[in-house]
Amino acid sequence: MNFDLTEEQQLVADSVSRFVSDNYHLESRQEYAAEPGGFKKEHWQTMAELGWFGMPFSEADGGFGGDQVDTMIIMEEFGKGLVLEPFVPSIVLGGGAVKRGGSDALRAAILPGVQDGSLQLTLGYAEEQSRFDLNDVITSAKADGDDFVINGQKSMVANAETASHIVVSARTSGGQMETDGITLFLVPADAEGVSMDSFPTVDGLRASEITFKDVRVSKDNVLGDVDQGHGLLHEVVLDGILAHCAEAVGTMEMLYKDTIEYTQERVQFDHPLSDFQVLQHRMVDMFMEYEQCKSMLLRATMEVAASGVDATRTVHALKHLVGKQSIFVGESAVQLHGGMGMTEELRIGHYFKRLLVIDAQFGNADYHLQKFAA
Amino acid sequence: MDIDLSTEDLAFEKEVREFLDGNAYKPGEDYNAWRMGWFEAAREKGGWDVPKWPQEFGGPGWSPTQHYIWQKETASRTTPWDMPFGTVMLAPMLMQYGTKEQQERFLPDIRSRKVNWCQGYSEPGAGSDLANLKTKAELTDDGQHYIVNGTKIWTTAAHIADWIFCLTRTDDSGRKQEGITFLLFPMNQEGVEVKPIITLGGAHSVNMVHITDVKVPVENRVGEENKGWAVAKGLLQHERTGIAGISNSIVALENLKQKAGTVKRGNGSLMDDPGFRKKIAELEIDLMATEFTELRSLASASAGTAPGPESSILKLKGTNIQQRTNKLTMEAGGLYSAAWGDKTAGPGFAKAGTAGYLASRAYTIYGGASEVQRDVIAKNVLGIKRSGK
Repeated sequence: MNFDLTEEQQLVADSVSRFVSDNYHLESRQEYAAEPGGFKKEHWQTMAELGWFGMPFSEADGGFGGDQVDTMIIMEEFGKGLVLEPFVPSIVLGGGAVKRGGSDALRAAILPGVQDGSLQLTLGYAEEQSRFDLNDVITSAKADGDDFVINGQKSMVANAETASHIVVSARTSGGQMETDGITLFLVPADAEGVSMDSFPTVDGLRASEITFKDVRVSKDNVLGDVDQGHGLLHEVVLDGILAHCAEAVGTMEMLYKDTIEYTQERVQFDHPLSDFQVLQHRMVDMFMEYEQCKSMLLRATMEVAASGVDATRTVHALKHLVGKQSIFVGESAVQLHGGMGMTEELRIGHYFKRLLVIDAQFGNADYHLQKFAA
Repeated sequence: MDIDLSTEDLAFEKEVREFLDGNAYKPGEDYNAWRMGWFEAAREKGGWDVPKWPQEFGGPGWSPTQHYIWQKETASRTTPWDMPFGTVMLAPMLMQYGTKEQQERFLPDIRSRKVNWCQGYSEPGAGSDLANLKTKAELTDDGQHYIVNGTKIWTTAAHIADWIFCLTRTDDSGRKQEGITFLLFPMNQEGVEVKPIITLGGAHSVNMVHITDVKVPVENRVGEENKGWAVAKGLLQHERTGIAGISNSIVALENLKQKAGTVKRGNGSLMDDPGFRKKIAELEIDLMATEFTELRSLASASAGTAPGPESSILKLKGTNIQQRTNKLTMEAGGLYSAAWGDKTAGPGFAKAGTAGYLASRAYTIYGGASEVQRDVIAKNVLGIKRSGK
């Protein structure tokens, strides 16, 4: 057992950290968010060229053979700058589904493009009624010759308007809530019958509501086995949760440190705010919860890297803890910044909004507490 | 970065289990003879009787993972009772500040558990504000002895201790942190009077100690005169990590789940109650995180670097978890948690659960109250400067 980064991992961490501090000042971040698609295409290409997209793919698929630990290292740094580029949707979720479930031919057709940035994937798994349950799927896919025909709707799909392909969960048999009977498909975003409404999310990112009307997809685009997509989706979502939690931990670190800095500068009642014990203790609690989330992140990430879905319970623990405590840290940061915390001028409020969105991804703190306790 | 135990670690785990099982207490055996024999056998394993001591003083030189394995395995089995005052708290201070003579004189009996120590720190006027202590030590004219007078309070195990390490005031002209001197003297002598203090759960573990004209030779002083505050604070560091008690909490939580599973509720048990289950789940999640915080702390300690900032939170998190575990154990007793006489009613754990809960309220008071801990973290870990206005 050890907590040390390898030399290569340290190099990646340093390189991502440098990229974020060079490029992700708040003003530039807001400019990138306003570009079509909600992120900066040049950054996307730079990230690909730096090799970051190849980290979690096997050498056979053209990658570097890394695991969840490598993704964690990248995402924690991304969290510090509120990076907008769709690394999680494309590399972790879409790419994660294709690398696990795609045929040799499909992987060879898709994964090189994912890693060089020419393709961008995303994952459509939620529906209006499903809330956080991956097994609640109404969208249907019916076999028709060598094709499947998909009809239905997917909710809050991240970065879908810039995606080349969407990984979609659809019901091929069984009732609405059954885990059996779900199949994952890789659907080209420009396929006939795919339409979407796209909009910004509160954290400055982009999402879409997607409608599928008689969308015809070849059976070659099935990921994993027909009717057995739930297990595959669950594995992919575990990786997504780990990635988002790593991002949240990076964000929490910035929030507590920015708050310490601000309270030492802001003078009220002839004292810096940091002189007041009640505020000091709140900041100590922010720091403690950050450290605890970091510990749980390391635990869950290492456990999943070692034993996959057997570590699901620890991932529930992580998502609960990060959901609960990141919002505590975010609310505290806003509170201690006073009126300034309510503005869009400081980073604080943007970090806070991102944490709110992360809590709602893949099940919030309450949802995962229930799963953990079950 | 990986979580797997190496082949060597797995072999070590097996060796620890074999040692603990092979030396387990057998019913009917003389407890004290077993206890002394256990520590002797642990010593022969190569310093297993003093896991945290450095190798140069006879410790085992374990890796963080080995410490972790040891804690886990010992927490889930019966090991002989032990007090932290000698081996965990005083010994590292003697190693750092003591003379060679003091080390040779005191360390062997600390190690063999032949001598029990207690901690003369708090006083009626010096609790969280420990440096405000008034117990006076005056050097005799010949410079050979200190004459000590004063009162210590909340002294755990003073009634069974052979020796005390005691903070005394030798100078009150300057800052209160200056002028403190760290002395060692025997408890069993004229002028040392121990009065029991019975706490909320009915237990006698703490005492008031009156010290009247006790003569202490200068060779029993650890560190320089008036420089005892550094020793006092260094010792508190060791005390604080010790009382996080993570491995014990893991076992305690499992016990709690078992007990709650035996408590009837409707057609099922208390573990079917969603409210109770939720509290157990939250507790378990905090414990899982704290367990890894401790591992991170162990790892940074073994890398030889200063303890990482994560170490500072262990006492706060660890005691919070212990208190919640105790509270839920009391809650599991339901109505029967009120039964308090010699004849108890209801589940066997109910009275002990209540007593344990009451006793646990002290965990966030001793060893630096949680509020003081937060002050210390704010200043020393987060580097928050106070303007002094």
